Amino acid sequence: MSSSCGRTGANRRTFLLSLTTLMLGSKNAFPQTQKDETIRFGLTPVFLNDDVQLLSAITTYLEGATGYKIDLITRRTYQEVTSLLVSGQLDAAWICGYPFVKYRSELELVAVPLWNGKPLYQSYLIAKSDRDASRLSDLRGDIHAFSDPDSNSGYLVTVALVNENGFGRETFFKKTLFTYSHRNVIRAVASGLVQSGSVDGYVWEVMREIDPDLVARTKIVRKSEWFGFPPIATSKRFAQTDQIKALKRALLASSDTDAGRAMLDYLRLSGFAVADTSLFDLVSQKIESLRGVL
Amino acid sequence: MRLSHRFRQLSSTFRVPVMVMLLMATVSVVLSERVLNRLSQNQETYLQGLAGSYLDGVAASVSPSVLRRDNWEIYDALLRMKPQKASVLPRETVVTDANDIILASDKPEAHPTLELMDSAFRREFEGIHIRLDTDSELAFQIRPINHRGETIGKVYVVFDASSLLQQRRDVLLALLLTNGLLTMLLAAIGFLVVRRMVRPMQILESHLQTAASGGLEPISSEEFPKAGRDAKRIFAAFNRLVSAEKDRKELVDRLTKEERIASLGRVASGMAHEINNPLGGLLNAADTLRKHGHREQVRRESIELIRRGLLGIRDVVQAALATYRPERNSRALTPRDLSDISLLLRSELKSRLQELRISAPRSSDVFAGLPAGPMRQAIMNLVLNASKASPDSTEILLTVDRTEDAFCIHVQDQGLGLPEGANHILTAPINSMVPDVKSGLGLWVVRQIADELGATLSTQSNMPQGTIVTIAVPHRQSEVLDAAA
Repeated sequence: MSSSCGRTGANRRTFLLSLTTLMLGSKNAFPQTQKDETIRFGLTPVFLNDDVQLLSAITTYLEGATGYKIDLITRRTYQEVTSLLVSGQLDAAWICGYPFVKYRSELELVAVPLWNGKPLYQSYLIAKSDRDASRLSDLRGDIHAFSDPDSNSGYLVTVALVNENGFGRETFFKKTLFTYSHRNVIRAVASGLVQSGSVDGYVWEVMREIDPDLVARTKIVRKSEWFGFPPIATSKRFAQTDQIKALKRALLASSDTDAGRAMLDYLRLSGFAVADTSLFDLVSQKIESLRGVL
Repeated sequence: MRLSHRFRQLSSTFRVPVMVMLLMATVSVVLSERVLNRLSQNQETYLQGLAGSYLDGVAASVSPSVLRRDNWEIYDALLRMKPQKASVLPRETVVTDANDIILASDKPEAHPTLELMDSAFRREFEGIHIRLDTDSELAFQIRPINHRGETIGKVYVVFDASSLLQQRRDVLLALLLTNGLLTMLLAAIGFLVVRRMVRPMQILESHLQTAASGGLEPISSEEFPKAGRDAKRIFAAFNRLVSAEKDRKELVDRLTKEERIASLGRVASGMAHEINNPLGGLLNAADTLRKHGHREQVRRESIELIRRGLLGIRDVVQAALATYRPERNSRALTPRDLSDISLLLRSELKSRLQELRISAPRSSDVFAGLPAGPMRQAIMNLVLNASKASPDSTEILLTVDRTEDAFCIHVQDQGLGLPEGANHILTAPINSMVPDVKSGLGLWVVRQIADELGATLSTQSNMPQGTIVTIAVPHRQSEVLDAAA
């Protein structure tokens, strides 16, 4: 099984982060200091970040609500965005709970999205709709699609589940692959390229509304327990800046304005809330359960 | 054979357009074959180029992913690279490793990931060039994916070539329609042109057929073609021919009349002689009656003498009437007609001390069906000719007999034989010559009568002296004539 994140030891994490930052920094030449008039906001595929209209709605609302120019920055993998965030090349980012927990010491929560009024979501194990599968063991020997090696719902939860059930992580699936997008996991399963996949429950449900034909070709084999919704985080050193304060206010008040509601409607979210880091304790437990395995 | 025979029986008005159609059809087939062949070559070159470009792009794009065996990246690349608007679209693209294990396909359900490629599908890809299957309307091509000189994978592409084949069908249909319309148009033009060309010939044919049935008429100026110098020349020649024929016919009629008048003169002369002979006796008898009429014996003898004389005159007059009254000509010939001929010609023959001897059956049945008028005329002319040819104090023999096929009349003289000209008049295959007077108008009239009756004339040498001229009227002909009478 592929894996890019192993143990959460500080030395290794720091090394990887530094290496990635060095690579990204040399390539993109982001300034190390915050611009006064701009909020650099990183996005990951925790939501449908390839929807241009959605990105436009986020930009419109946040620029209006914060008074700052919003510079949306997307990268292919979670690791790239996390690295930029931790290194200070982003003011804030919408990241997954798994990297937030991994870099908890360097990061601080700004806000947590509310889905159906709660800051919670699930991981889904999905398979082709015409397949007779209702439990994890039915997926043995599959080619399995993960979203991202730094994704909680799209990787960590399933790996932990396989492990908890006493199956060999390397041998349970015939082969695993990463699509670097929850949407792509659904596409891979729906097309038959793979037999099963691990996907963000929130993305699967939203996709069911906006692309019902695609999602109808898949079915849920298993839903996980509830995890803290992927949060908006910032590096600790920017936590008290005016930009982050303005961003936090804007996110928390998003349901109060038309532009904010338009953004929330696109995201199928009910709002944003302040949350404690304990919201992600279950993610921590999963990481812990895989200590020595990942 | 029968078809070609029937075709030859068609008139030129139809034959030429049909030949134009056949020629155009042949040209159309050859042209269509060449055009389609060239189109096929161009399409295959186009398809090869298109497929090559697509395969090059796919191979270059997925090469790093094949090296990493990243199934998703290969699949995603295949979907992104799939052209949506092209005349030839890839229907299936399959990427395998070097051992034909499927890494990804744009139709994963048909080609499952990490399975060995289906051997039947593999067999569709033969050789390095694109293969177009016209039955399935698909084209197949394979391209290896090389990395640093080694084959790390393969790309199999199935193209939907239906649009190209539809294009071929459209071109074929357009060719068929165009060539068909062109052929029909040229055939119609050919028909009109040939009909225009043949029209003068049809007019000429109509006039010739009319002429054959006796109505020889010149071609009127309205029927002369407005164009076509050759046709005008032919029409003018025909009209000259008609004019010459009419002149000839008038001449023939005139000569016939003259001959009749001449013949009549001779007969009239003979009649006068025949009448004159008894007249002397009649006058003497009348004088005797006037002088000695009171004597019973003399009166009786004189009256008897007068009666015999008048009977002789009556016979001569009746013979003349039988010969020259047209209404009596349609009756059938009888033995009496032969006696009339002898009577009418007796004077002519007697002047040369010649004698006509007749050998004929006494029954009228023998002559059944023979028209009296023309036959009397023909026999009289033959006897007069025989008299002319024979020396004085000779006998002319008129024999009538009946064979199985024909009624025959033989006239035998004792002359020195028929001159060549006279013989030609009687027996030449075609009677077209109008003779001069020396050649014997009498014989020419006999020939005319024989031709009209469908009879044949023949001459035979009568060794040691003389000639036998025979006129033979076939029974069937004589029966027809009899029925007509």
